[in-house]
Amino acid sequence: MEMLELLMRILVYGATLSGIYSLIAAGFTLIFGVSRIMNFSHGAFFVLGAYLGIAIINGVGLNPYLSTAISILMVGLLAAIVYKGIMSPVRTQEVMVIIVTLAFALILEQLILLIFGEHGISYPSMVKGVISIGGVPIPSMRLFVLAIALTALILLWILIGKTRLGREITAASQDVEAATLLGLDVDKLFLTTVFISSILAALGGALYAQVYAANPFLVLKSLIFAFAIVILGGLGSVKGSVISSFIVGYILTAVIVLYGARWSELTALLIIIAILILKPTGLFGVKEL
Amino acid sequence: MSEKVSRRRYVKYAAAGVVVVAAGAAGGYVAWQAGKKPKAKNEVVIGVLAPMATYQGSVQRDAAALAIEEVNAKGGILGLPVRMVVGDDKLDADTGVAELRRLVTVEHADVLTGGYSSGVMTAEMETMAELKTVFLADASSTEHPAKVAGNYEKYKYWFRITQNNGATFAFDLIDMLDMLRTNGVQVNKVYIIRDEHVWVEAVEEFLNPMLKEKNVEVVKNVKIPRGYTEYEPLIIEAHNLGAQVILPILAISGTGDVLAKHWATLRLPVLLAGHDLAALDLGFWERTGGACNYYIFIADGGVVQTAPPTSTCASFIENYTKKYGHPPEAHQGYGAYDAVYLYKMAVEEAAKAGERDPFDSDTVVKYLEKIANLENPVELTRRIAFYPPGHEKKWDHDLAWGDEYVRNWVAEWIDGKQCLIWPKERANAEMKLPPWFK
Amino acid sequence: MVSPDAFLYILGLTYLFIVIAVSWDVMVGYTGQVNLGHIVFVGIGAYTTALLQTPSRLQRLIPGMLLETTQVPIYASILCGGVAAAMFGLIIGVITLRLKGWYFALVTAVLPLVFVETTVIWKDVFGGEEGFPIGLKGALASSTLGKYYVAFAFMLASVAAMYAIVNSKVGLKFKAVREDPYLAESVGINTVKIKVLAFMVSSFFAGLAGALIVHYRGTVSPSLYDVPLMLLVILAAVIGGLGTIFGPMVGGLIVYLAKHWWLKGAVAALTSTGLPINDDIILYAVLIAMAVLLPEGIWMRARKIIRGTRIS
Repeated sequence: MEMLELLMRILVYGATLSGIYSLIAAGFTLIFGVSRIMNFSHGAFFVLGAYLGIAIINGVGLNPYLSTAISILMVGLLAAIVYKGIMSPVRTQEVMVIIVTLAFALILEQLILLIFGEHGISYPSMVKGVISIGGVPIPSMRLFVLAIALTALILLWILIGKTRLGREITAASQDVEAATLLGLDVDKLFLTTVFISSILAALGGALYAQVYAANPFLVLKSLIFAFAIVILGGLGSVKGSVISSFIVGYILTAVIVLYGARWSELTALLIIIAILILKPTGLFGVKEL
Repeated sequence: MSEKVSRRRYVKYAAAGVVVVAAGAAGGYVAWQAGKKPKAKNEVVIGVLAPMATYQGSVQRDAAALAIEEVNAKGGILGLPVRMVVGDDKLDADTGVAELRRLVTVEHADVLTGGYSSGVMTAEMETMAELKTVFLADASSTEHPAKVAGNYEKYKYWFRITQNNGATFAFDLIDMLDMLRTNGVQVNKVYIIRDEHVWVEAVEEFLNPMLKEKNVEVVKNVKIPRGYTEYEPLIIEAHNLGAQVILPILAISGTGDVLAKHWATLRLPVLLAGHDLAALDLGFWERTGGACNYYIFIADGGVVQTAPPTSTCASFIENYTKKYGHPPEAHQGYGAYDAVYLYKMAVEEAAKAGERDPFDSDTVVKYLEKIANLENPVELTRRIAFYPPGHEKKWDHDLAWGDEYVRNWVAEWIDGKQCLIWPKERANAEMKLPPWFK
Repeated sequence: MVSPDAFLYILGLTYLFIVIAVSWDVMVGYTGQVNLGHIVFVGIGAYTTALLQTPSRLQRLIPGMLLETTQVPIYASILCGGVAAAMFGLIIGVITLRLKGWYFALVTAVLPLVFVETTVIWKDVFGGEEGFPIGLKGALASSTLGKYYVAFAFMLASVAAMYAIVNSKVGLKFKAVREDPYLAESVGINTVKIKVLAFMVSSFFAGLAGALIVHYRGTVSPSLYDVPLMLLVILAAVIGGLGTIFGPMVGGLIVYLAKHWWLKGAVAALTSTGLPINDDIILYAVLIAMAVLLPEGIWMRARKIIRGTRIS
């Protein structure tokens, strides 16, 4: 009974974190897979989703659902502008892309620190109540967040697999020159990919702030975990990053529940590095670099 | 080939030139400074050195500014006008040290107040000792008074005025548990969630033996890293292990809001009572959307804003609100305000006693010890007394702890307000247990 | 207003920072491998020497290593810092340089986090977040001027050494690996071995610089592993110009002094207007502007202007 309860705790609580991380990781790997851009601002968009959402709720007084929708769209737009303004011009020099997007992320982090302070902020609860699954109390909010994350992933999968836009994006990611020859506006496709991925990241941030709290340091921390997850799953593989999000999320939760909170991050990182030593292209390594 | 060689030589010559110029300038400046004659004293300069980007820092500047304004309105210190100079340590030891040096050597500060981070204070104490400037400080580490104890002549300029050191939190926590017991809560198992940091070790050194004495078992002691947010599994575990109280000992984790939120959502029959800097914050209620209701905590600095311990404190809060539009944002404000007045008192005592230079740091130290000691504490916004040199626990010049001095009162968030719930004589509300408890 | 003493102090630290930036260039500019965890080596060098200087802490890690009262000579200690960093460079390099470009960048980005966690978790040894002091006996010199000269000499020696290395036959191989790894392999260059070698050179000097910083300041702390420092290094190298050794020197001088000295006045003026701005934001904005508008860096542009040539 004890074991079962422990297992339930890990299973359900781990799922929330995994679901949220998969939103960031999938977006990051999608951008890279399609356009070879290493978007180091991705973590910043994650955090902005939360902060803008809360700013709209407190400032304009809209309900949380509407505010979240508006905020993620705003982040998407911002991402599109960033793409046009600074990512696209240096796209061919990959080192510069990293440097430029990282600098932008840090500007956002500093701005958030200056405007909102270093304490975290969190969303007012959209769903209240606690239900019991297998004897383990679980806040309904966690299930709600998980449901939204999974829905978003399914929508993404439909978009890429079943729509014309999705097929164009896939074509561009496989062979940019051929796609251009076929008449596809590759730059616009990249822009669209950045837009979609950033919306996903922002949604992830808003969900994260629901369950936990958003703070400026997450700009880099979420980015680093996104890296770790994406490397594990294989750069360029959306499926890989979703699966490895769950692996990493569960490792983190399991370590917290079984060993101790302080070990969770270190253990997760070490395990990832270990797996990479064994399989250098990640679990589902797709792209040849 | 020759191009590369000449370029290298060029760089070398340029760099050598920089060195000569820099060394020469340094030497010239030092000589010029030595040649200047000291001016007659025509003002008193008080330096405030704290992390200005945080409100714990900026409140010190604002509170000191208010105090100085009041002092000047009543004729200054010994008839001299008082001026404030501000330094920002940016929570970084190197910056703090550089700013301290600047405040004393360039701005000619006579006395300093400020601080927040213990690590930064440790570094600053060295410069303070070198420049022999009195520092009426904040921060909570027991390392600081230990330095004074270890080398009195060198470090005696340091006094802690803003709050008690971290080890005393243990006494307050034990009293808090006693209070729970007298109110009918059977406390024999606690679950500790604490910062992964040296400051907590000092607290636990005193707390653990006392818990044993009181027959309270620590079912688990969880160390959390900075930024940790997965509290729900911990709360569930605490309940499963039979603890009646979850005792946070937190200050730097930065995620107290999440702890309160998770605790309020789960509604398990476990109390949340302990020390968390986040709970002290006046905006905590709003930030957690009311989830912190029934959160019991010990309040650093000896002041719960809704129940000021002295009339001076009540007026200070009123005047601060009038001047800035809101009450003091953090308890460091009381420390800075008291620092200005205490310094004034020490200097005036020295002058009355006929000291040749009442502003001399060694003299000020002597008189601070004289006027603010265990037998006669000074009543400002709190009752200030410093432990004398040679203290048995090596807390020389630390802020005295006790009901008659300063201690962390036991407070609770009740229906949107921070209330003082113990000791009874000072309480402005009765402890309220969450409806889902028991 | 800064006193001359304080200025010399900052300038000395600037020289040490320059060494870190130049050593990063050896890896990134010459071998083309983007190492985002470079400061890990600075930290390793720093903590190695700090622990050697504080045997009581070292004993908690390796019991019986040194006597409590052993006084390790300063320069031997610093050298050990560099060697330790190079050793880690070897280990990490062998493991990660098998990974293709992007994976390498991402894994190295994760490293600083791992090292900072280690410092915090084993705080008895490493001093946790606040670090620990090494005492006056470890100081480079008793006066600021003395420390300044030591830092300056160190910078000259290190930059000269790295310059010599990248312009030697081995350096040619570095550049070959950067330009076209496949071609390099086909003419018989063992790319992995070359990359690891460059990594070791890069990490050795970074470690030395880290060790010197500890003896300069008298304390060690995890801020030496921090991402903001890594950003500053990147800023310096990019503004100055990657792949030129002197570029990062110039860039390092500009960036470090800007952050610790020049910008203070400008920032104070701007913040008083109520704008949310601070020195970091200005620096990062400059970085973005430089990267987009002047990607080859100041040094190369200055050279072209001086020589009157324009490469399109």
